[in-house]
Amino acid sequence: MFFQQLINGIVLGSTYALIALGYTMVYGIIELINFAHGEIYMFGAFVGMILVTVYQVPFFIAFFLAMALASLLGITLEYLAYRPLRRSTRLAALISAIGASIFLQNLALLIMGSRPYSFPSPFVSKVYKTSFVTVSKVEVIILIVSFLLMLGLTFLIQKTKIGIAMRATAQDKDTASLMGININKVITVTFAVGSALGAAAGVMVGIYFRSVTPMMGLMPGLKGFVAAVLGGIGSIPGAMLGGLLLGIAEVMGAAYISSQYRDAVAFAILIIVLLFKPSGLIGSSLQEKV
Amino acid sequence: MTKKILSLLSVLLLLAILVSSGCGGNDQASGPDPGPAQEGEETPESTVVKVGMVGPLSGGAATYGQSVRNGVEIAVNEVNENNEIEGVVLELLAEDSEGDWSKAANAFSKLAEQDKVNVIVGGVLSSESEAGGPIIMSAQIPTISPSSTATGLTVGNPYLFRNCLSDEVQASQLAEYAVTELGLSKFAILYTNNDYGVALKNAFEETAGSLAEVLAVEAFMDNDENFKPQLTNIQQQNPEAIFIAGYYTEAAKIAQQAKEQGLEVQLLGADGFYSPVLVEIGADAVEGAIFTAGFHSGDESPAVQNFVTKYRELFNEEPDMFAAQAYDAARIVIEAIKTKGTTPEQIREGIAETENFPGITGNTSIDEEGDTIKDVLILKVEGGAFDRIR
Amino acid sequence: MISAYYLQIIILVGINIIMASSLNLITGFTGQLSIGHAAFMSVGAYASALVTLKLGLPFFVSLLCGGLVAAFFGILIGIPTLKLKGDYLAIATLGFGEIVRIVFLNLEITGGAVGLRGIPKDTTLLWVIISVLVTLFVLYRIIRSRVGRALIAIREDETAAESMGINTTYYKILAFGVGAFFAGLGGGLFSHYFRYIQPNSFGFLKSIEYLCMVVLGGLGNMWGSIIGAAALTAIPEFLRASADYRQLFYGAILVIMMRLRPQGIMGEEILSKSNLTESPFLSKLKLRLKKQKNQDI
Repeated sequence: MFFQQLINGIVLGSTYALIALGYTMVYGIIELINFAHGEIYMFGAFVGMILVTVYQVPFFIAFFLAMALASLLGITLEYLAYRPLRRSTRLAALISAIGASIFLQNLALLIMGSRPYSFPSPFVSKVYKTSFVTVSKVEVIILIVSFLLMLGLTFLIQKTKIGIAMRATAQDKDTASLMGININKVITVTFAVGSALGAAAGVMVGIYFRSVTPMMGLMPGLKGFVAAVLGGIGSIPGAMLGGLLLGIAEVMGAAYISSQYRDAVAFAILIIVLLFKPSGLIGSSLQEKV
Repeated sequence: MTKKILSLLSVLLLLAILVSSGCGGNDQASGPDPGPAQEGEETPESTVVKVGMVGPLSGGAATYGQSVRNGVEIAVNEVNENNEIEGVVLELLAEDSEGDWSKAANAFSKLAEQDKVNVIVGGVLSSESEAGGPIIMSAQIPTISPSSTATGLTVGNPYLFRNCLSDEVQASQLAEYAVTELGLSKFAILYTNNDYGVALKNAFEETAGSLAEVLAVEAFMDNDENFKPQLTNIQQQNPEAIFIAGYYTEAAKIAQQAKEQGLEVQLLGADGFYSPVLVEIGADAVEGAIFTAGFHSGDESPAVQNFVTKYRELFNEEPDMFAAQAYDAARIVIEAIKTKGTTPEQIREGIAETENFPGITGNTSIDEEGDTIKDVLILKVEGGAFDRIR
Repeated sequence: MISAYYLQIIILVGINIIMASSLNLITGFTGQLSIGHAAFMSVGAYASALVTLKLGLPFFVSLLCGGLVAAFFGILIGIPTLKLKGDYLAIATLGFGEIVRIVFLNLEITGGAVGLRGIPKDTTLLWVIISVLVTLFVLYRIIRSRVGRALIAIREDETAAESMGINTTYYKILAFGVGAFFAGLGGGLFSHYFRYIQPNSFGFLKSIEYLCMVVLGGLGNMWGSIIGAAALTAIPEFLRASADYRQLFYGAILVIMMRLRPQGIMGEEILSKSNLTESPFLSKLKLRLKKQKNQDI
């Protein structure tokens, strides 16, 4: 049973990790908690669902289209709600993000209605059973896709020119801009990539749990943010680790301690981790300038 | 400083524009216009009876609140279109609670004190009705909740009524049925950690525990999506049936995940199961699920068919139990207006005296505590539709 | 006579002024981002309600108890977590808030998910006005004292403050304790007004609402918190007229207001090095940008 719960935790955690990546990338560059990220996740899930069920688009094409459209939404959001506030305080940008989140959530509610939509799984529901664990095909696909996306992201950040520009901007914006890096472009790309990952998570969670609602971004958005901080916000491997750990903590808390106190257990673990590692698991400690 | 004042002014201006532009939205809340033909018949002395509605129209519980509003809207439209009550036009005022009881209290207060409604249908969540109770009592506005099931909610408040199945009755009847008719003896319970789920869980645990065996009890939260850890725990105990004390969205997901996990057991539920969403999301996983309900859209009776047809026409979807109970609650109010009159006090008397009201959710009587006495149906999911088995 | 509805809104504005001002002490003056303020409120709400219901003590005593229990939790949580900085502190407070909510949801004595009903309606407009005045007076005295200057020094530059001999941990815990006390007081007024409490009204969304009030009004400005609390309590009520578009407008208003006044309605443009209040972006070019802005006008 322990291994079964571990698998449950890893699958849940990998979706958190994908959401956390979007938070952490944006945070790494402009130190903004992009509160509307959960809504981008929701948007991605809706686009995927509509393409698959209404337009009968093959699943993987719909998946990439959802990512592309969510990127556009992310860029628009940055342009309208965050860019004008770039020179103001971080909290001002946070409130703007909260406003954007409320706006997008309720826009979806107005357009799509409140009733959950079913997102039929495009895969034959097949279950792989061994003597001590049961894994469904969807779960395997979620794990593989998450792994590939994270691999792709690592490649993008480490090996490509724009990735180098992103890292440079994250370290020191002023110097980076003096080096001829177009900061605006870097921020736009960051939002695009982060939103695409959020949408990917949305579509996968949509087929995993087979439903899509305008409110679906709220809790996963919060959990993704928590995961990003747990791993060390701003750190890409940290977000992956944080997501996985949060997923496992939640599942183990529900399985072995109490399902009533599931979230409390997960948050308690978070606080304890932060007490020992005050800047997250892999977070670089903030350099304080006197 | 001038900048500050300017920005304050601009915000106020913006607000004013929004509020004035939003006034149009109010009509939308009260549904399509009654139609010009009927307006012509309106005599100058026709009284407008304001029917308030409080519930979550946004936020995580929005789908329940919107169903309730839809149900009330149909009843209100029927009265206005058919000129059902001589010289009376109903006006629906729906207020959002965001699913937060303290905001529901604001909504109740606005309807009762500001808009001076004659009667309120709401709140939807039990906590909303709890917070609204004292307000409508001091304002003396009769209020009938279509779905707040909390134990003892209406006790000691002569203005608060409800039209919903009692959690205790449902759960104990279902447990009895499962043991005696279905021959099940090993149960697990998975309940949502809110007043609805807890009340159902307690009643089911008591009855099933005395007749047979309850092996596992697990909780989940509203709007949860992942039930694997709880289901894995339940699977360890090898129960024959799982009683899911929660609403349809979660129930459908639980069914899916149970099936995926190879947990093939009899699913049991309560009236929270009643929605087409259960089958849409749950698909073949909810096949064979058995649950209690007050409403059954397959019922041949003209009242039920009339409601289902109108609901489909207006909202382009199938009604759920929230809509049906809200429609009945509104119908009970309309009946009270017909027999007693239009003032809040008269409506209160009328609701309190409701006896054997032939609603679409069964014959309904209101007892002296303001609680409902209703028949409980038992339905089964067969071929993607709900069949009445008792 | 004003209608009972307006009276209720005025009372809520008063309670929210207490909440926003006390959060302002923590976030605005001391620079510690907290997303768990509603948790302190709920602790106060439950504690005072239970004192009234179980012990039958007078309203004043139960309000005080609510505040003290909340302050105790503020300090208890403050001691270990205040070593955290910025967003890590924010997440820890958020986690604390969720833990408190879940505990209340499952405890027998608090009524669990069903909530606590039958609390006497002791909160009147007079009580609220007195509480608001006391809160504002105490906070004002704190801010204008040596303590207040120490708090502001911590916000402006914690390292520098420490090297000036300010015991930063002590003052941060003090800010959390005092902030939590008044949040608890607000909670006591809240529970004795609505006569019913249930944990779901004290979730992280509520904490974020209070944060919005503080930022919208202007961080580190007492008038700002008052205006922010009044505005964000009244606006959703005004917006009731817009029916289904209400929340949509509310979100848009937040974005637009921040665009118009990023420093908040009453906020001054703060030139500080603090992590929280200073834009991380182009910080060194700020003066140049300011010049440009002036030229634009």
